[in-house]
Amino acid sequence: MQENYLAKWLNNELSETELSEFKKSDEYAAYVKIAEASKHLETPQFNVDEAYELFKEGKLNNKTKVVQLKPFKGFLRVAAVIAILLTGSYFFLNSLDESFTTQFAETKQVQLPDNSEIVLNADSKISFSEKNWNEKRNVTLDGEAFFKVAKGKKFTVSTDAGIISVLGTQFNVENRNDFFEVTCYEGLVSVVYNNKERKLPAGNSFIVINGEIMDDMVMKNGQPSWLNKESSFKSVPLKYVFAEFERQFNVKVKTENVNANQLFTGSFSNTAIKIALESISTPSKINYKLEGNNVLFYGEDTP
Amino acid sequence: MSNVCEEQIFSSIFKTNSKTIFNYIYYKFGNEEKANDAVQEAFVKLWENCAKVTPEKAKSYLYTVANNLYLNVLKAEKVRLKYADLHSNSITNESPEYVLEEKQFKQKLDNALNDLPENQRTTFLLNRVDGKKYAEIAEIEGVGIKAIEKRMHLALKALREKIDGI
Repeated sequence: MQENYLAKWLNNELSETELSEFKKSDEYAAYVKIAEASKHLETPQFNVDEAYELFKEGKLNNKTKVVQLKPFKGFLRVAAVIAILLTGSYFFLNSLDESFTTQFAETKQVQLPDNSEIVLNADSKISFSEKNWNEKRNVTLDGEAFFKVAKGKKFTVSTDAGIISVLGTQFNVENRNDFFEVTCYEGLVSVVYNNKERKLPAGNSFIVINGEIMDDMVMKNGQPSWLNKESSFKSVPLKYVFAEFERQFNVKVKTENVNANQLFTGSFSNTAIKIALESISTPSKINYKLEGNNVLFYGEDTP
Repeated sequence: MSNVCEEQIFSSIFKTNSKTIFNYIYYKFGNEEKANDAVQEAFVKLWENCAKVTPEKAKSYLYTVANNLYLNVLKAEKVRLKYADLHSNSITNESPEYVLEEKQFKQKLDNALNDLPENQRTTFLLNRVDGKKYAEIAEIEGVGIKAIEKRMHLALKALREKIDGI
């Protein structure tokens, strides 16, 4: 007889010779009886539809179970609200994009999931979806940031002024009120501005001030000067220089008799306010007064 | 792709499997209440994880959850099975000796079933009562078909020996 022949017999898998041999054995009749009788056994009642209704109810009222402990009713109510708020906000926040913000006079370095690096300049914000990062390398930027993108799939920076897309390179994006600048330091960057795409090879800048498009050249393989704690400008209206100054030193700038649209070329230190003030005022032929957190720039001929 | 989270698919999974899950836990522990709870618990878990469990995997997922629920927790009680009254009409035709003999046999079978090791009893009853194929039981129990055949063989052998009083 083969192994486990009783199991094979129940399953009608015995060969004919085996079967006739088995039938001859003394125990055969008993086995037949057991096999027959066991088929007619009944388990306790189980109503599938009732069980399903119960399950559906349980699904809806899952939380009511907790309320049964009366002494803690009040406490539980508070705890339940907190728990719901916590879980709710957890899921809400979890579904939100990851975001980083810098205050005035602050820079921040951000590492992306693929080891790309972003350095945020003062008063800027980036956000990206960490979950979908591998499918879509997309960063939303408001402010100014320098990007060092790891090689890989297309990487895009979305701003309200335009969209910048690259494959793996280093570039700087500044997007502030009426001011949009993309500078490519390495590789090739594509900028979509007003539905028009342009390619920006290394060493080129694309600047839009007040809707007016300008191109500029920079050093290849360089870095934006603000990474070295210096803000530099080339033919930029003074008002943007003042705005940057405010951001870097967290001060309030006021002007009197100053032509804010006068162009400024030069740079100022982001660390030493006195030197920075000199750097702005001397070439522009204006004066300044520093009082606490307030700076007043005023024209030469102001009384 | 069909998804367990869909009400319709979920309810059909419930309707095809809940009774056998109930029996499965009942064969193991002989506790009707806990068997009912296990059904609810297993489906709650499946519902919570419906996005992660494919319809094909749902069945073995349910049995695993139900089984783990009382593993090492619940002490097995006596499994009480009724006999379907198939002969209710013809019973008058039987001789009193036969009826008595039959009653004794059922009593013996009942005791013998309860004396079986839990895994042999579960396998045996899933096959005999629920009509599950060996392959299906193997899937439920998470073992090979060979192991199920072994359990069936040993169960049948032990039952006969107990009943014949060897």
